[in-house]
Amino acid sequence: MRRLAGRVLAYVLLVVVAVIGFAPFVYLLIISTKRRIDIVAEVPPSLNFNVDQIVRNYSEVINSQGMLSFTGNSIIVVGISTLVALIIGVPAAYAFSRLRFRGRDAWASTVLSFRFMPPVAVAIPIFLMIRSIGFSNSYPGLIIPYVAFTLPLVIWIMIGFFDEVPRDIDDAALVDGCGRVEVLWRVLLPIVGSGIIVSAIFGAIFIWNEFLVALYIINSRSLQTVTLGAATLVSAQRPIDWNIAAAVGIVTLIPIFLFSLFIQRYVVRGITAGAVR
Amino acid sequence: MIAQADRTTLAEQQRRGRFRKWSLPSRDVLLLLGPAVLYLIAFSVFPLLYSLRISFTDQGAAQDAAQWIGLENYARLLSDPFFWNAATNTAAMVGAAVTIQVVLGTALAVFFNLNLRGSWLVRGILILPMLLTPIVVGVMWRALFNPDWGIINWALEEVGLDAPNWLGSTEWAIRTLILVDVWQWTPFVFLIVFARLQALSVEVFEAAQVDGAGAIAMIRRITLPLLWPAIAFAAIFRAIDAFRSFDLVYGLSYGGPARSTTTLSFLAFQNGFQFQNYGYAAATAYVMVIILMVATTVLLRYVRLRGADAA
Repeated sequence: MRRLAGRVLAYVLLVVVAVIGFAPFVYLLIISTKRRIDIVAEVPPSLNFNVDQIVRNYSEVINSQGMLSFTGNSIIVVGISTLVALIIGVPAAYAFSRLRFRGRDAWASTVLSFRFMPPVAVAIPIFLMIRSIGFSNSYPGLIIPYVAFTLPLVIWIMIGFFDEVPRDIDDAALVDGCGRVEVLWRVLLPIVGSGIIVSAIFGAIFIWNEFLVALYIINSRSLQTVTLGAATLVSAQRPIDWNIAAAVGIVTLIPIFLFSLFIQRYVVRGITAGAVR
Repeated sequence: MIAQADRTTLAEQQRRGRFRKWSLPSRDVLLLLGPAVLYLIAFSVFPLLYSLRISFTDQGAAQDAAQWIGLENYARLLSDPFFWNAATNTAAMVGAAVTIQVVLGTALAVFFNLNLRGSWLVRGILILPMLLTPIVVGVMWRALFNPDWGIINWALEEVGLDAPNWLGSTEWAIRTLILVDVWQWTPFVFLIVFARLQALSVEVFEAAQVDGAGAIAMIRRITLPLLWPAIAFAAIFRAIDAFRSFDLVYGLSYGGPARSTTTLSFLAFQNGFQFQNYGYAAATAYVMVIILMVATTVLLRYVRLRGADAA
């Protein structure tokens, strides 16, 4: 009897944990379907959904609030930054994993330590640099710093994946007369494909979420990224249309929900950038 | 003739010795690592040094007016009550949030180690908060905590409790900020500790059970000591990230009310972005950089120690 009671209690606890973790999103989702007046009038919100109202809220967010163009900007910036970070970062990770050279560990630690620097410390100099080369308020103005932010992440995640590949594979290819670069390109890249996807997704989420540097670099509404646009729409300083704010939040979170399905297994590795293995 | 030969040998030896010491890295290293290193020097190292330089000037938004003022910004920081307020808030947040996350996260890890049916699904849910846009997390919790129609206040009233003024009072706003950080990041501690727990061998526990150890004794005497490295790693990692928090503050409370949730990052942002006082903002941020460099060194040494442990 005590055993049974214990088991029931354990499952109740499990459900409570799940609810605490997930209910906030459900609440945001429900709010995003309501009329402004209903949010205030119905507490707790009713579960009667009106399709017209849902369409109205989301089409306002997408069309008149500019969320569509923000999404376009974000996709361009996220896509190019992630790609460049992979092109530069994957070979570097390979070098850290395979080659012996003086100060290797010190270099690797230094690269990782950039992940821990506060963005406020570099936002102003980056803004001044970008302005002086004439890239403020443009895509390159965001892409250039975002590649720098994503590189440590990519390098550290990829070192972990390269370390898992036996060295014999490289050695066999080297004996066959391939150069290091060729070994990486022809032999190893296909093997660490999942690592590349994982680091691409973490890099992409990181850039998608980035806010402070975008705030400095972008000053025209048409070039705002999703996160910057969302922050301006729901700025904590002024009163908010909560149904619209909630819909903006939901639209911002959708890609993250989708991506998170692919990286469940790697989430710790991604967030610590490979520091725990 | 002989002397000359000797000298050549000596020179040759010296050259070789030197050469080995100061040689350029091999072509492969340059080719593979060069682009990343150059990029990071240009767009990570240089901005950090540039920031240091700015912190010694009175640079504002108008670029040419900057003058070297030495340590004046730093001296001003020390006598700025707003700086000490932000430092106190940051310390309170880091201390409280990380402590709660470590306790809850470890408890969750032990609980999930029961491997209840369906717990994989809950683990999947718990991964989400960490990945979310902090700005949106802030907005979401502002809705949940809304004093007029938020569902949390409604629920508290239903069970007969008085709801606190979550984000409206100086007393509560910092607690609310900590609470949201705990919601978002407890899963991080949980996952790290849980991974370590699953890697422990079952035999230790079985042996203890045979010796007649109770559940609580097992957790205290065996589980916790074995988990300690993972817990410490997660705690330092979280402390570093909580110390830098900015986006969540911006989205949740905008540093208010009455600066009660202004963290160091948020203060540096206000000085720089709002008041356009770049020099002073850079000095504020650099105090953080120095603290973070120390913390990061500790963390990285720890990572390496762990690697050595495993090997």
